Amino acid sequence: MNQYRFHYFGLAALFIVLATGTMPDAAEPDRLVVYSGRAERLIKPLLDSFQAKTGIHVDLLSSGTTEVVNRLQAEGSRTPADVLITNDAGSLERARELRLLSPSATPNSVAAIPAQFRAADNSWIGLSGRFWIVVYNTTLVKPADLRSLLDLAEPRWKDKIAIPNAGSEYLQAGVSVIKAVYGDDRTKQFLEGIKANAGTQVYGKSSQIVEAVAKGQAALGIVNHYYVYRHLATQPGAPIAVLMPDQHEGGMGAIINVAGIGIVARTTRTDAARRLVDYLTSEEGQKQFADLNKEYPLHSRVAADSSLPPYKTTRVAPVPLTRLGELREPAMMLIEQAGLR
Amino acid sequence: MNQAAAIKPALPDSLSLVALTVAGLLCLPLAYVTYMALTADAAIWSRLWTTRIPELLFNTTALALGVAAGTLLLGVSLAWLVARRDFPGQPLWEWALVLPLTIPSYVLAYIYSHLLGASGPIESAWQILAGPDSHLPSPHSYAGAALVMTLNTFPFVYLLARAAFLNLNVSYEEVARACGVSRAGTLFRVTLPLMRPAIVAGLSLVVLYVVSDFGAVSLLRYQTLTYAVYQQITGRYDPTAASILSLLLVIVALIFLITERWFRQQSRFFQTTGRYRARARRQCSPLGALFASVYTIGVFAASFGVPALLLVQWSVSAVSSGAVDARFFGFVWNSAFLSGLAATCAVLIGLPLAYLASRRPSRLNLLCLQAAYAGYVLPGPVGALALLVIFSHLAPFWYGTAAVLVIAYVVHFLPAGLQSMEPALQQVTPNLEEASRSLGFGTAATLRRVTLPLVRSGFIAAWVLMFLQSMKELPATLLLRPVGFDTLAVRVWLEASEEYYQLAAPSALLIVIMTIPAILLLISKDWRAA
Repeated sequence: MNQYRFHYFGLAALFIVLATGTMPDAAEPDRLVVYSGRAERLIKPLLDSFQAKTGIHVDLLSSGTTEVVNRLQAEGSRTPADVLITNDAGSLERARELRLLSPSATPNSVAAIPAQFRAADNSWIGLSGRFWIVVYNTTLVKPADLRSLLDLAEPRWKDKIAIPNAGSEYLQAGVSVIKAVYGDDRTKQFLEGIKANAGTQVYGKSSQIVEAVAKGQAALGIVNHYYVYRHLATQPGAPIAVLMPDQHEGGMGAIINVAGIGIVARTTRTDAARRLVDYLTSEEGQKQFADLNKEYPLHSRVAADSSLPPYKTTRVAPVPLTRLGELREPAMMLIEQAGLR
Repeated sequence: MNQAAAIKPALPDSLSLVALTVAGLLCLPLAYVTYMALTADAAIWSRLWTTRIPELLFNTTALALGVAAGTLLLGVSLAWLVARRDFPGQPLWEWALVLPLTIPSYVLAYIYSHLLGASGPIESAWQILAGPDSHLPSPHSYAGAALVMTLNTFPFVYLLARAAFLNLNVSYEEVARACGVSRAGTLFRVTLPLMRPAIVAGLSLVVLYVVSDFGAVSLLRYQTLTYAVYQQITGRYDPTAASILSLLLVIVALIFLITERWFRQQSRFFQTTGRYRARARRQCSPLGALFASVYTIGVFAASFGVPALLLVQWSVSAVSSGAVDARFFGFVWNSAFLSGLAATCAVLIGLPLAYLASRRPSRLNLLCLQAAYAGYVLPGPVGALALLVIFSHLAPFWYGTAAVLVIAYVVHFLPAGLQSMEPALQQVTPNLEEASRSLGFGTAATLRRVTLPLVRSGFIAAWVLMFLQSMKELPATLLLRPVGFDTLAVRVWLEASEEYYQLAAPSALLIVIMTIPAILLLISKDWRAA
């Protein structure tokens, strides 16, 4: 049986080689492993230009935000990741609470990004802002028809709205804010209402919601603002527009969230990771968020795209981003109780 | 055999030990999911019962039944046409109707969301006829999912029904006709009842496939248990709810697997060993031939022709716009590397199990073999969930590496491979091995120089089968892929789920092209799990 024993030892050896071989080598200083919860096409161009500028090779894992945080937690001290980028402050807060991130913001990034867009201990730094807005089909809806996000739960919008699914971090963050402002009962009413009104129009991706509204499958949808402007950039004639909700006197204000970055606590490549943080929060990096993605740059000296509603005159919901972490679990519970998909 | 036992000393225990270990490891994911679900907080169970489970069970069952009805109609009618009627192109259609199996469900789903979607080509054509304000029902619905899954899986029923039509002893039908039963009466009262076991076996396979499908339902946004498990894994921090839904899914899959097994055993009763004549094909009337051709071409076009043409057209424009770059070839390599490795590991792992079960069919060895079939009832997301939790608790060092993904493939696809490896080993008579032993070769040398060369073709078929399935696999790959290790299947799904259909096309087309020769090769051997 010696030969067969050899085969199985060979197999085991192969596996170990494979297991270690596919883990990016920690000894190489000029590499960075980035776990990203953002759609690949929204973050890869920025990482590519960072790579071109610094010569630091970036390995990117694009996946869902919750998924990458789960993964980071499961991998624990063995994680190959150096940097975490997500599309939601709530999940960054969760990563911070789990001690997955090191409180090691760079002086440049702290100077560039205002305090309300950073973790209290600077474990994560906001990169770009986005409003959770209503996109409407201009041939089907007039902007005066709707004032607040909560109006979408009214029966008159039956079968007319498109919503994200329960796994969407934007939805979870949005519901967290509504819960903090209005309490559980109103939030539940809102969720049950949009569930009934959306019917089968429950989507996994924001781009699909915009597409559905543009085609008239739905009259209204809830998405992050930049998906609308990105759609308009490729199809300028699409009959869609952005309605910034809850701007009326006494209204809740629009729900803001940020995409942000944190350095993984266990990384051995702190220098390269800090250079990435610096790059993405620099004027050059922030300009790309503004130009390519149509997001709101958080750097005070970088202007947002002129087609966006100006940030300064927008009424913003009074719930600090750092509370999104603690609000997440109760918000998910409400979402589940309402039976959203 | 007694004599053989006298010559053959007991096989080295190390082989049994390997088999036992492997079988235990293969069962671990299933056991872990069950354990997680059963130890979950009762509050989570009751919350899921009141919110999600009734809807999911209803949706899953409704889709399975709808697809079963659709594939029954298409599969049996087409099998009857090509087996019993002569019409132009019949020999061509006989094998061409298998081609839909080469298109992964998620590829067909995204093609139909384009074709039938709002402002898609079919709706545009319809609006010319019926006015600009008329809309077709959305493909992102029960009807859409049922249509796509039916077109994707009817060859399962077609293949089994065709074989049954061809193997049926014509005497039964002649007796019925001689007793004055009409032709249609014979078909419905004699032929189809005799084929019932084959048809039900085909339908059970279809249902098993539908229940565990993730790709099509996720792109068509139809909520089934499998899709819900995936959403729970990716959308929640706590995997408990996912494990509860997983357990339900495993039970549903198990029910259909047992049904299929049971009917497959039943199907033996009419495969008489005595002499019989096959029924000759009847020439169609011109009108009949026209109808047969239109029907066959229609089904073929909808399930393979049009989708393949669209993929080619999109790929051409994607290539000309530069979408096929070095990165694309990286994905091709990742797919080939992972699938090749998984198939090789699975063959090496399956060998001791199948060998011991056929040469030393002790209760323990047979049990080990059965354990390897656990993967059949572990739909992709469920297996991935189990491995995620197991590796994060027990072996965090391997978590997030390609090894975990390869293990997922092996667990999931080894059953399909074993179906080819087992008969191959059983067909080698032990006499040959005994002769080799009596001529002075040891056990190892006999295995290497006599047994393995004889079973080679069966093992190659198993390898090809597992390679292809690993390459098409989607949910486990999405959940377990290591950093920078996207595969073709993952790229198709990522692009298609954002409706970048053209960017998804080259990867999809490559998967289809690689699958075609292998499917045709495997039809004669083991098409069951293709």
